[in-house]
Amino acid sequence: MKTADKLKILADAAKYDASCSSSGSSRKAAPDGIGNAATSGICHSWAADGRCVSLLKILMSNECLYDCSYCLNRRSNTVQRATFTPEEVADLTINFYLRNYIEGLFLSSAVYASPDKTMADMVDVCRLLRNKHKFNGYIHLKVIPGAAKELVQQAGFLADRMSVNIELPSEASLQRLAPQKSRQGILTPMKQIGEDFTGFQLERKKSRNAPNFCPGGQTTQMIIGASAESDLQILNLTEKLYSKMSLKRVYYSAYIAVNDEPLLPALLTAPPLIREHRLYQADWLLRFYKYQSHEILSPAFPNLDERLDPKAAWALRNFDFFPIDINKASYEELLRIPGVGVTSARRIVTTRRIAAIREQDLKKIGLVLKRARFFMTINGKYLGDRSLSHHHLVSAMCKVEPPVAKKLLHGGRQLRLF
Amino acid sequence: MDSIIYLHDGSFEGLMHAVAAAVKSKEDVQGIYAEKEFSPRIFDTCIQIKTDSQQSLRLFEYLKKLKGNAARFAINGFLSEDLQVGIHLYWLVRQCLVYGAKATQLYTHDSIRHLDKLSQKVGSEAHRFTGLIRFRILEDGLQYGPFEPDCNVIGYCAQHFRERLKNQSWILHDIRRNHALYWDRDSLQSIDIDESFTSHVRQYGEIPESSLSEAERYYQKLWKSFHAAIANQERKNLNLQRQFLPQRYWKYLVEMR
Repeated sequence: MKTADKLKILADAAKYDASCSSSGSSRKAAPDGIGNAATSGICHSWAADGRCVSLLKILMSNECLYDCSYCLNRRSNTVQRATFTPEEVADLTINFYLRNYIEGLFLSSAVYASPDKTMADMVDVCRLLRNKHKFNGYIHLKVIPGAAKELVQQAGFLADRMSVNIELPSEASLQRLAPQKSRQGILTPMKQIGEDFTGFQLERKKSRNAPNFCPGGQTTQMIIGASAESDLQILNLTEKLYSKMSLKRVYYSAYIAVNDEPLLPALLTAPPLIREHRLYQADWLLRFYKYQSHEILSPAFPNLDERLDPKAAWALRNFDFFPIDINKASYEELLRIPGVGVTSARRIVTTRRIAAIREQDLKKIGLVLKRARFFMTINGKYLGDRSLSHHHLVSAMCKVEPPVAKKLLHGGRQLRLF
Repeated sequence: MDSIIYLHDGSFEGLMHAVAAAVKSKEDVQGIYAEKEFSPRIFDTCIQIKTDSQQSLRLFEYLKKLKGNAARFAINGFLSEDLQVGIHLYWLVRQCLVYGAKATQLYTHDSIRHLDKLSQKVGSEAHRFTGLIRFRILEDGLQYGPFEPDCNVIGYCAQHFRERLKNQSWILHDIRRNHALYWDRDSLQSIDIDESFTSHVRQYGEIPESSLSEAERYYQKLWKSFHAAIANQERKNLNLQRQFLPQRYWKYLVEMR
């Protein structure tokens, strides 16, 4: 088979992987090689689904041994199969990179022959790129659960970022939908990478010559909407992954019904995009806004409100915390106001250092009052409408949701009708 | 009453000198413009600045010493090619003389907020083009990257690629300003590109057929098919795509043509 045909098949098969970030690692170009990695990450293009294309995202192979019911490439499906040779992948990466199409390589794979053989081939690709082509661009490598410990460690010395997909939010679902995979098999390499990552970071503090292990850290991905877990379960799991496994990111991917399978949502079911969107918003609250998952959701209300940003929902539930005075509140308190993000909160803090902020200054600082006005005062003055009942306030907040969220909400509903 | 206008030659040094002179004059200055972009009105008093690099350097050194964003505001303001940038810089300097480096965070001041916006616009466009420039590799290995930025960001892009592709020789070509930079694996220099070549690229968004090698065509085709395959049809959202990748950037993008 020609490389061009393989590329088509194996890029198509890789499109379900959510991550495309190229950030978190900084690598200088080798004197006789090509490429470096920029800490901030760089997007090179955007695909027709609006997702950024930063890395050459492909599978090494889609000839899978496993038969996971949510996966298009499962063994029992009749789809075109292909496998790249390591040289083909390296050649594509280098040629795309030189033309500035991509920031680097994102290599994943179906499990063919055995986990060890698959992982070994993927490590070979990295070795080719790093040693033969002296490529110092970004490499994101998926780890195949069940591969030997040594292989995973070798991969860590070559890649910028690694990820092990946790696949589904609970062990029970994994057993039901992907019986050949086990929770333990997934968590073991995750733990190993986490330990090596912190270990070698400490080493590097002592000696410059210690090797760099997976400098961009590790991430994971789980499918949303293929199994029955509540948002609370998902968020609790996410929080644990951040705190216990020190993951950089947890990605959610709305389940796309590709297989006709009694255990799963029917074919043609629209992917739960609005739910995915709300979960990402909640994830942002965990990572940048210092919220905890028990603040966002509780066993009594285990699912996120699809109509509302989780931060707005929190603020409405805890309305006695408000209104907050912009000139007096701490940075952390400012961050709790719906409509005030990290940028606005920082600006408020720096601006009021010079002089107290007046009402006419708010717009100039770049603060959008649409949502914030219900939750703040400025020099004692409340900018919202005091006569609104709580019920009306909720609907007012739903009304000012950004159009993107509204569209997702309505789009999802329309599709569900037929 | 007359409005006092300072005019400079349009270079960065000229701009800096004009701003310095305006601040020093202690008069109520109404505008600072590049000569060629300004036509005086009847009551304007125009003061022509003859660029003295000593004078402009003094102001620039002062802004650099201030830390914060002052120097970046000046450079990015100039690169943004905003017509009004001179008077905003004048106000920035006056505010800096009162508040020091803190002044660059005085978002309630119209001029400073405007400079902050311009600076961000230039910075984010430069960052954007580090991803959006597409090199065409010619037969002899020379890489040619045409692009049309809104702001004058070719310098920032060159800085990025001299790190990333320092062992390749490449040309960055700002088609809008017809300004090209050539990296010969060792140093960066301004060069002139053949006019008929430039006009072909400007018209078609692609280099002439005769310069397109077999390999170049092959990898362009592969990239296009990859780009099409990586999109999830079930999540198709062209509006979102356009939001991130405005149509004005499509011309030289292999995958969007």
